[in-house]
Amino acid sequence: MKRSSIILLLVIALLIGVLVSTIQDASTYASFDMAQKQAPETVTVVAQLDLDSPITFDPQTSMLTFTAIDKDGQSSTVLYNQPKPQDFERSEEITIKGRAGDGQFVAIEILMKCPSKYTEEGGVMADDEASIYTENS
Amino acid sequence: MNYMGEHDIWIQSGRFAVALAFAAALIASITYLMSWMRKDGAALRRAGRAAFMLHAAGVIGTVVILFVAILNHWYELDYVWRHSSNDLPLEYIASCFWEGQEGSFLLWMFWQSVIGLVLIKVAGQWEAGVVGVLSIVQVFLTSMILGVYLGDLHIGSSPFILIRELPENLGLPWTDMVDYLMRVPGFSDGQGLNPLLQNYWMVIHPPTLFLGFALITVPFSYAMAALLNRDYSAWVNDAMPWVFAGVGILGTGVLMGGAWAYEALSFGGFWAWDPVENASLVPWLTLVALGHLMIIERVKRKATTSTLMMAMLTFFLVLYSTFLTRSGILGDSSVHAFVDLGLNGQLLVFLGFFSVLPLGLFLMRWKDMPKSPSEDAFSSREFWMFIGSLTLLLSAAQITFSTSIPVINKLVGPDGMIALLSTELAPPVEPFAHYHSLQIPFAILITTLMAIGPYLRWKSTPWSLFKRITLSGVISLLIASLVVWGLALYTFSYALLIFTSLFAVISNATYWLKYLKGQWTVGAMTISHLGFALILIGAVISNAKKEPISTNSTFIHQDFPSNENLLMPFGDTLSMYPYWVVWTGEHQDGHNRVFDVDFYLEDDSTHRSGTRLKLNKAFTLHPFVQINETMGNVREPSTKHYWDRDIYTYVSYADLRPASVKNAEWAEPMTAIVAKGESILLFNQYLLNCDSIAIDLASFDQFTGDLANLSMRMILRVQDSLGVDHPLDVTYQVEGSSALPGEQVLEDMGLKIRFDGVSDTAGQFKITAWERNPKQDPFILMQAFVFPYINVLWLGCLLLLIGSVLSVAKRIKKLKG
Repeated sequence: MKRSSIILLLVIALLIGVLVSTIQDASTYASFDMAQKQAPETVTVVAQLDLDSPITFDPQTSMLTFTAIDKDGQSSTVLYNQPKPQDFERSEEITIKGRAGDGQFVAIEILMKCPSKYTEEGGVMADDEASIYTENS
Repeated sequence: MNYMGEHDIWIQSGRFAVALAFAAALIASITYLMSWMRKDGAALRRAGRAAFMLHAAGVIGTVVILFVAILNHWYELDYVWRHSSNDLPLEYIASCFWEGQEGSFLLWMFWQSVIGLVLIKVAGQWEAGVVGVLSIVQVFLTSMILGVYLGDLHIGSSPFILIRELPENLGLPWTDMVDYLMRVPGFSDGQGLNPLLQNYWMVIHPPTLFLGFALITVPFSYAMAALLNRDYSAWVNDAMPWVFAGVGILGTGVLMGGAWAYEALSFGGFWAWDPVENASLVPWLTLVALGHLMIIERVKRKATTSTLMMAMLTFFLVLYSTFLTRSGILGDSSVHAFVDLGLNGQLLVFLGFFSVLPLGLFLMRWKDMPKSPSEDAFSSREFWMFIGSLTLLLSAAQITFSTSIPVINKLVGPDGMIALLSTELAPPVEPFAHYHSLQIPFAILITTLMAIGPYLRWKSTPWSLFKRITLSGVISLLIASLVVWGLALYTFSYALLIFTSLFAVISNATYWLKYLKGQWTVGAMTISHLGFALILIGAVISNAKKEPISTNSTFIHQDFPSNENLLMPFGDTLSMYPYWVVWTGEHQDGHNRVFDVDFYLEDDSTHRSGTRLKLNKAFTLHPFVQINETMGNVREPSTKHYWDRDIYTYVSYADLRPASVKNAEWAEPMTAIVAKGESILLFNQYLLNCDSIAIDLASFDQFTGDLANLSMRMILRVQDSLGVDHPLDVTYQVEGSSALPGEQVLEDMGLKIRFDGVSDTAGQFKITAWERNPKQDPFILMQAFVFPYINVLWLGCLLLLIGSVLSVAKRIKKLKG
């Protein structure tokens, strides 16, 4: 009985350890404000693309610059040193992993949520909630 | 009302087939289980069998009708419209079938009905219990495609629902048109298959994965039947072939997913620890643990409770991963979760039913179950096998916890049921670091156990047996050192894992060749262990030494290390060590925009002579971008395979506009209305002043009084941003029935203006203006990686599959013998 009890305890201890490590490694969803306070910690911001501000992509440096509005309505310039994702302007929501820099947000990874174009001509069919996910990293 | 063009009989039959499958499964489960609980229930068993066969007929009928509908483009069906289109190649019809949730549930229950039919044939005295439990699972699965509305309650989503019957369309005027299918243009073509899924992997990956899931239901059903009948151990023998078949098939399915990601998607690797990938891996890990516990139970009768527990847990994890991928809860964290169909409540009931009831039954039987009276010896095979299974369980636990972060948020997040956390948790920022921090130590332990395993004996192992592995240990240490040194793989955990994995490879190979004389019939264990160890070696090396060879070294800021995108102007020869690359062409192939990239190697003579660079063409790659208007473009990689490495490339950015647009002299025009003395803004930067408009000539037809000839002239001035005026005059002429608009080009400003005649309002005139297309040298951005020794991984997969097949064969043979 003795050894099996030890093993059982060990397994339980490891399970707790695993859970704790998960919570420790997890990042947090933040607003741009919180990101600024927590800098240089990496956070995840769920935001929307600001289509009224310019979205520029410089192929020479492969630098994408755009403005995003977080869920609190605050906007920030975001720099993303990767090629511009396909259909970037069409995304309805973007999940940006990164951290705050000098007045800008530096993205490491961007995950886009795109609506699929479902609407039929003449409004025969209602919009569909269906969406696809495309990762561009 | 009879609608024209609807395939009413087929669709009604489809709905009937679903209803039949549901009702028959319900009857089968009740009669079978009643027969199981009473030992004399032969008549009930026959009834159960008949009901199950009806159920299988219903499921197969549903599958056939849905296939027919997709094949014939019956777009009145929502499912067909949503997932297929006219131009879809025949080979992807199958993919359409299981692209949606309904179809993939159908695929899953199809496999389970087939398995049920096989079980009726082979399960013997276990039939009633096992097929009875399986039928309950089928009841739940069928309910997911039932599509019944009870008031506001919505049970299942039917693949046979018509678009006009969708709640959002009810009462719309077109639904009253008898010939709406011909009248409404939307019905002439479907939505099409997501281009990401237009791939042969999508044809073979889901059926394999779901067959694996379906096989997991078998040990679960056996375990439940065993608990119901208080016969806790005998089931293990019968269930074992199914478990090892599941290990092989689910394993293949999971790895196919990886191969798909690697071959066809530009995720930059074969495993990304994506939640959906994880969800399929976790049940595989516990299934492997279950297989090992079953071996202990069969030989030593010492793992009764843990085997039952693991069978229940593995099945639960299949359902849990179904819930994760299908409820939409992973929406923010995964690339390829399913779309939410509003079936979450039902999925939760499903999940709850199959966790509470089995667990309750298990606890009820707890006192009754035999417990092992003695401790396992420290040197026994069963002890270490048990430890190995526990390690797999822990590994599964970590992956499950991390994948469940969105669930944790729902439960204890700030907006969750019990608000324990102040902020919402997001998935780890660096998934690799997170998962590897624990998975690598687990893998080290597992591979060590696999290395020693074959030499351990049941009950206890004499020391002399351990001496046999010393040599393997020494040899693998030597080879591992060479590998680590040769590849400069100086991360301690990786290096250690390379060593333990090599140890497992060499010790298993030695054992098989030397002690088992290389016989296939008894090689199941050693070959699958060898395969698994090779998978790990291939994964570690190809991942840790994955090397981007494309670089953009432009220095921007310290925050931005030079990144992995090579800017390739058309036709330029660029260095991408050790290659020289040239973008030589681009063409359209169906939906795909294909780019041709030539790879050159330096000739040996270059270095000797040191004078002129001489290049030899090595190969050409064709990465492409699939153009899809509706669902977004997809970039797909192209890979050159060598035996020891892969050169993996994809185009990360390209101007995808059609050549006619890209190369046109003038960009998109704008139209404007001008009037004398007024000014308007052109392209937000030029001021256009209309100074005068004169009619030079106007004559009328003397009989009809219509305008016969007209000649107008407009004097304009375009002011640039510096305030400099550029004058121009354009004419507009009418001769009889034809109009001749005149145009003029302002070369130095890159503008063209055309006079389009009079507008509807008197005194106002129409013009069109163009800006010159900026001359841009065409370029693409490309990423290229070298994945070294990735073939070791695929070799390992093959061996693991062979090992699983061998073990199934062995278990079946033992059952018969």
